[in-house]
Amino acid sequence: MHELLILTPFILTLLFSLATVPLLVWMERRIAALIQDRYGPNRCHVGGIRLAGIIQSIADMMKLVFKEEVAPSHIKNRFYYLVAPSLIFIASFLTFMVIPYADNLELNGTSYVMQALPTDLGILWFIAFAGLSVYGIIIGGWASHSKYAILGSLRASAQVISYEVSMGLAIVSLLLTYNSIHLNDIVTYQSQTFFGFIPAWGIIMQPLATLIFVITSFAETNRAPFDAAEGESEIVAGYHTEYGAMKFGLFFVAEYIAMAASGALMVTLFFGGYQLPWLTTQDLITHFDILSGVIIGFGLIFMFLFLRWMRRNNSYNEKSKRETKIYAVTIVLFSLSLFSLIAYSIYAGYSDDQKHIGVMLIQFSIFAAKIFTLHFIYIWVRWTFPRFRYDQTQKLGWNILLPLAILNIVITAIVIIGVN
Amino acid sequence: MLNEVLFYILSALILVSALVLISARRPIDAALSFIVTLVSIAALFALQGSSFLFATQIIIYAGAILALILFIIMFLNIQDKNLPDEPHKKRDITFSTLAVLPFTVVLISLINKSPLVDQALPYDLFGGIKDIGSVIFNDYLLVFELISILLLVSLIGAVSLAKEDKDVK
Repeated sequence: MHELLILTPFILTLLFSLATVPLLVWMERRIAALIQDRYGPNRCHVGGIRLAGIIQSIADMMKLVFKEEVAPSHIKNRFYYLVAPSLIFIASFLTFMVIPYADNLELNGTSYVMQALPTDLGILWFIAFAGLSVYGIIIGGWASHSKYAILGSLRASAQVISYEVSMGLAIVSLLLTYNSIHLNDIVTYQSQTFFGFIPAWGIIMQPLATLIFVITSFAETNRAPFDAAEGESEIVAGYHTEYGAMKFGLFFVAEYIAMAASGALMVTLFFGGYQLPWLTTQDLITHFDILSGVIIGFGLIFMFLFLRWMRRNNSYNEKSKRETKIYAVTIVLFSLSLFSLIAYSIYAGYSDDQKHIGVMLIQFSIFAAKIFTLHFIYIWVRWTFPRFRYDQTQKLGWNILLPLAILNIVITAIVIIGVN
Repeated sequence: MLNEVLFYILSALILVSALVLISARRPIDAALSFIVTLVSIAALFALQGSSFLFATQIIIYAGAILALILFIIMFLNIQDKNLPDEPHKKRDITFSTLAVLPFTVVLISLINKSPLVDQALPYDLFGGIKDIGSVIFNDYLLVFELISILLLVSLIGAVSLAKEDKDVK
């Protein structure tokens, strides 16, 4: 149990970064289809099971892994060419290591930190490694030895460097508010309320910083509308034009991991992290019986709604009836056994440790729900806004966001001094 | 034990990459090996428990300054024929190393004799953001402010240099 609890945050890091990539690819395609009023990929299946199209993105990943590795013959610096995708992948992956997934778990007097790296650096760690990921782009573009690649990497690196400034300044004003750089302290701060009823979430305390941070993290991850670096209408695919197979796959996965990491950071900084509004961790632990009753109630309602929705909508062809039946049986069996387990535990009475672990699991799921909502917003923005022209990107960064961020620091400092 | 092994590995990495930095022919090789040097130095800081120094080393040197240098190297698009001809580079480096060597020996013995060597940290794992902040703003406030004024002056200088001269146009 001891080892398992220490390993939990690492496992969660892997789940939220690497394991969500196929899910994110699926979300991207299905939401794009939703926005463009079409179906999106939904026919790839294993024995009739389509999982709403997730099978397609798993097949895609397998294709990337098993594809033949080809390197263009004009590449002179093979070492740099090969090291670039791994660099960007490692840097994006490391940014994830400081995110707190739940409050510190107290069991038998020992406290388990639910961050993969329990360092006191907190947000500085994120900034450090988000900044390092630009080297993968620079080196990859340079080593590809092609005009498209070098143009793309010049654009990407200039954009990342200039948006990092505003991002850092937005974070400074946040740190003034939260009075700590440790991410778990920041989340604990957000479980407070002010005026008695408004949750002290970052988005309410620091709306301007939230806006700046959200825009800059879109730019940092090179996602639309700031993806001029891979603008396919002008420069093919930008810095990864000359890459294929898993070398491209690493760039591709790294983009999604960077998106997931900045989403996780946004959840932590602005949306209360793993907390529910108005409820601190201690509240959850003391009222755990009521909480598990509520979970059973809502779970049953959602199960019935989902089953009804599925029976009406999952009618792609004759085979899908059998598929619907399989899903329904699995869902009903799983949720009923889960709910009866919870109900039995309420009846038998929870021990203290069980309550703590239960609250931890609930906080994991709250965190997951929040982070997937943010992924949805990321994808929504990508398929709604047109791409910024390159000079517009720079103008927005330096002429609008930077002065706003500095103004925000001054306002925050004045307010803090005024309140104290 | 593990710390010592890590220390020697990192020191070797720093020395080798610094050597590559001064001996590399292409600027991009030099810049990239300099990144290795800086990140290894950051790792040395982390090994001492100075987490704040580790973070600033990576954010400022490895993350920002070197990225700008690489950016400029790429922007200039230096070809092999633009590089200066240095036929005696290896010989020059060897002899200058030999010339500096006695001074290095003197310097190392001086450092070993200085009282700083035996001075312990205020406590183990000193070097978090709170420690450094309180030392800077309590003991060295004037120096800190002077440095920030210096940075501000250079910032304004850079802007005024970069600004186009309207009369010339």
